Amino acid sequence: MRAAALALALAAAPAPGLAQMGNPGFMAPDTRFDAQGMPEPGQTNPNDILFAQLAAEGGMAEVALSELAEGRAQAEAVTAFAARMIEDHTAANERLAGLAEAADIPLPEALNAEHKAIRGTLEGLEGAAFDIAYMRGQVVDHQKAATLMVWEIADGQEAGLQGFASETLPVILRHLEEARAIVADLSAQPEIAAVSPETIGIAPSATAAGWEGEGVTSPGDETANPAAPSPPPPAGAGAAPADEPAGEGATPAEAETAPAE
Amino acid sequence: MSRVVTAALSSALALATATPLASDPLPPTTNFRQLPTMPFSRVMELDAAQKPAVMQRQLDMLEARYDLADRPMDGVMMTGGLRAVQDGVRVRLPEGQTWDSLAAMTPAEIRDADLLPDGFKPLPHVKQANSGQVFPQFVIDEIDRQEGRDLTRFDVDFDLPAHLLPEFPPPIFLTTQPHLGDVSRGQLLTLANHYEIMNGLLTPVQMEGLRILLTPFPQEEFNQTEDRKTAEQHRGIACLDCHSNFSTNAGFHHTPDVRPQAARFRLDSPALRGMFNQQIHGSKRSLRSIEDFTEFEQHTAYFNGDHVSAARKGEHVPDRSHKVAFMAQMQNIIDFPPAPKLDPLGRLDADLATEQELLGEQVFNGKGQCAVCHIPQTAFMDQQMHDLKLERFYAPGEVVNDFVLLPDGPVKTFTLRGIKDTPPYLHDGRLMTLADTVEFFNLVLHTQLTQDEKDALVAYMLTL
Ligand code: HEC
Ligand code: HEC
Repeated sequence: MRAAALALALAAAPAPGLAQMGNPGFMAPDTRFDAQGMPEPGQTNPNDILFAQLAAEGGMAEVALSELAEGRAQAEAVTAFAARMIEDHTAANERLAGLAEAADIPLPEALNAEHKAIRGTLEGLEGAAFDIAYMRGQVVDHQKAATLMVWEIADGQEAGLQGFASETLPVILRHLEEARAIVADLSAQPEIAAVSPETIGIAPSATAAGWEGEGVTSPGDETANPAAPSPPPPAGAGAAPADEPAGEGATPAEAETAPAE
Repeated sequence: MSRVVTAALSSALALATATPLASDPLPPTTNFRQLPTMPFSRVMELDAAQKPAVMQRQLDMLEARYDLADRPMDGVMMTGGLRAVQDGVRVRLPEGQTWDSLAAMTPAEIRDADLLPDGFKPLPHVKQANSGQVFPQFVIDEIDRQEGRDLTRFDVDFDLPAHLLPEFPPPIFLTTQPHLGDVSRGQLLTLANHYEIMNGLLTPVQMEGLRILLTPFPQEEFNQTEDRKTAEQHRGIACLDCHSNFSTNAGFHHTPDVRPQAARFRLDSPALRGMFNQQIHGSKRSLRSIEDFTEFEQHTAYFNGDHVSAARKGEHVPDRSHKVAFMAQMQNIIDFPPAPKLDPLGRLDADLATEQELLGEQVFNGKGQCAVCHIPQTAFMDQQMHDLKLERFYAPGEVVNDFVLLPDGPVKTFTLRGIKDTPPYLHDGRLMTLADTVEFFNLVLHTQLTQDEKDALVAYMLTL
C-alpha cells in the first residue's frame, strides 16, 4: 500500500510530518495536547472523520465511473483520462483506506446515491453522449474534491489525513485542469453539439424550473427557500433554451427532481 | 450558440447538479465559523503554548523567501522623513538562477522546473487557522500608550521586521488644506488626540466622520466573547488602527472573500490616500464607492465576511445616510503625498527630474508596459481588476504553513502615487521593495528589461 502511494504522482510534494497549527478554540475538549500545545498524534476530530468518508466516497466513484468510461468512451482523450483516473485514484484510495483504518474511521462500502444515479445515466449512454456526460461529471467531482481537500487542510486535525489532503490537492487540481480542457475540446465537436438532452435523460433547466414551481422564490431571489428539494443551478447554468419559457418546463421538471419519497 | 448546443450543455450540467438526492454539500464549517468548543482559559493556554513554534515556522518561511536585512537606500526617506526606503531585490532566487536567466524562460519552463522564486508566490498569514488582524509592535505600543487599548494577541505576533514597513506615524495631507503640508504634527491620530490636532482644519461633518473612524468596535479576534484572541475582554478595533493616519502601518488581515479557510489569502492594509480618485475598492470585492466599502468593512469584513459570527460578537452597522456619509467624506479629503516632480498630467517635469528618472518614465510608458494599467493621468490606476495569471509560472495547490497556494485571480490595480511610503507590496505584501516589484512585473509581463532599465524604473517610482 505504501509503495503504491509513493509510486503515485502525488508523492511530488514532501510528506509533511506535522499537523497544521489548528485553532485550539475549535478543538474537542477531550483532545490530548503535547507541551507545545499541539494535539498529540493519532487523534481525529469530527472533520477528519467526515473528510475521510467523503473523500473515500468520491474516490470510489472516480474509479467506478472511470472503469465504465475506459470500456465505453469513444474519444481517445477520454479513454486515456479515464485510465489515469483509475490509476491515480486507486492508489489514493488505498492510501486513504490505510489512514482511515489506522484512525479507526469506518469508510463507505458502496457508491452514494448521487454517484449511483450518475452511473445509471452513464450506463444508458454511448459514443459522444457518453463522453461529454462522463467528462462533465468529472469536472464537478474534481471541483468538489478540491474544495474538500482545502477544507481538511484547515479544519481537520489528524496529521496523516491532512498530509493526504495536502499531497492529493495538486493532483486533483491537475486532473481538473485536464478535464476542463477535454470538455472544452469535446464541446467544440459537431457530434457533441448534436447530443440532445433527452438522450442524456435529463430535461434542461430542470432545477431552475423546479425552484420557480415552488412558488416561494421569485426570479432574482434564489436565496429564500432552504427547503427546496434540489439546489439552485450554478450561475449561468440553468438558462433554458431561449425559445422555451421557463414556466412551461416547470411541471415535468419538478416531477423529475422531486425526492423519491 | 445554437439551440442544440445550449440544450446539450445545460443537460450535461443538469446531470451534475440535479440528480435525485443530489450530492451532500460540504459541511457548514466550510464557510460558516464554527462555535467554540473549549473554555477560553484553555484556548489561551494552548494558543500561547503554540505561539513560539508558530512564529518560528513563519520566520523560517520568510527567511527562506527573502533577504530581510536592513539595507536602506542612500539618502532616500519616506515622505515624512521618519523611515528610510529599503534598497535592492529581496526575493531570493532559486539555486543556480539569475533574474536574467529566469526572464529568458517561458512561463511553462519555469513552472515545469519549479523555478518561480517562492517570494513571488502568495504570502501566508502567520497562523492560517486562527486568522484575523495582526499589528506591528510599534502600533500596539502607541495605541496602548494613548488609549490604554492593547492590541496584543496571545496566539500570534507580527512577522516582518519594522525596517521593511511604512514609516510611523505617517504624515497626513488634506485636499482641503494643500498649503499646510503634513498636518499630523508627527502624532498618531487616536480618539485621545484627534480633536485637538484637527480642530480648525475640518468641518463638523468631517470631524464626526473622523471620530467614528477612530472608534473601536468589536471584531472577530478582538471582542468580548470567548471567541477572541486577546487576554482581556476587548473593546475592539478602529478603522484607523490599520489605516494609521489614513495611510497604512502594514497591519494585515485575511481576505474575507474566499473559503474554505485554508484558501484565504493574506491582505496587507492599503493606504487610504487618494480615495477620492478611486472607483473600485478592495482587492477582490470591487465595491463601487467609498461609502459601500466603509459600511461593509465595519459590519462584515471585520468578521471575515461572516455576518452570522458578527451578530454574535457585537457587529456595528453604521447608519448609511449619516455615519457612513460622514466617514466617507473624511476619507475623501485625504490626499496623496506631494510629488513635486510631476506635472498636472502626471508626467515628470524634465527640468526637475534626473536623467535616470526620465529614462524610468520612458520605460514605464513604453517597453515596461506599466502605464497600460497604471495610467499616469488617472493617478496611476485604471479602475480595473486584472488577472496577472501568475499560476502560469507555478503549480497551484502547494501548502505552505497551512495555507494553500491558489491562483490570485483578478486583483484591482493599485495606485502608484506615494508608493515608496507603503511597503510591502501587492495585495498580500509578498514583495518587500520596489526593486522586487520590478522583477515581478518583468517576469509576469515578459518585458525583458535590462538592469539599467530596471534601476531607472525604481528611481522613477520614487518620484511618484
Ligand atoms: C485589520 C486592519 C483594518 C481595519 C481595522 C480596517 N481596514 Fe480598511 N482595509 C484593510 C485591508 C487589509 C484592506 C484591503 C481589503 C481588500 O483588499 O479586500 C482595506 C481596504 C480598505 C479600503 C479600500 C482601499 C482600496 O484601495 O481599495 C477602504 C476605503 C477602507 N479599507 C476603509 C476602512 C474603513 C472605513 C474602516 C473602518 C470601518 C477600515 N477600513 C478598517 C485593513 C483594515
Ligand atoms: C496588467 C495590468 C498591469 C500592468 C501592465 C502593470 N501592473 Fe502593476 N499592478 C497591477 C495589479 C493588478 C496590481 C495589484 C496586484 C496584486 O496585488 O496582486 C499591481 C501592483 C503593482 C505594485 C504594488 C502596488 C502596491 O500598492 O502594493 C507596483 C509597485 C506595481 N504594480 C508596479 C508596476 C510596474 C513597475 C509595472 C511595469 C513594469 C507594472 N506594475 C505593470 C496591474 C498592472
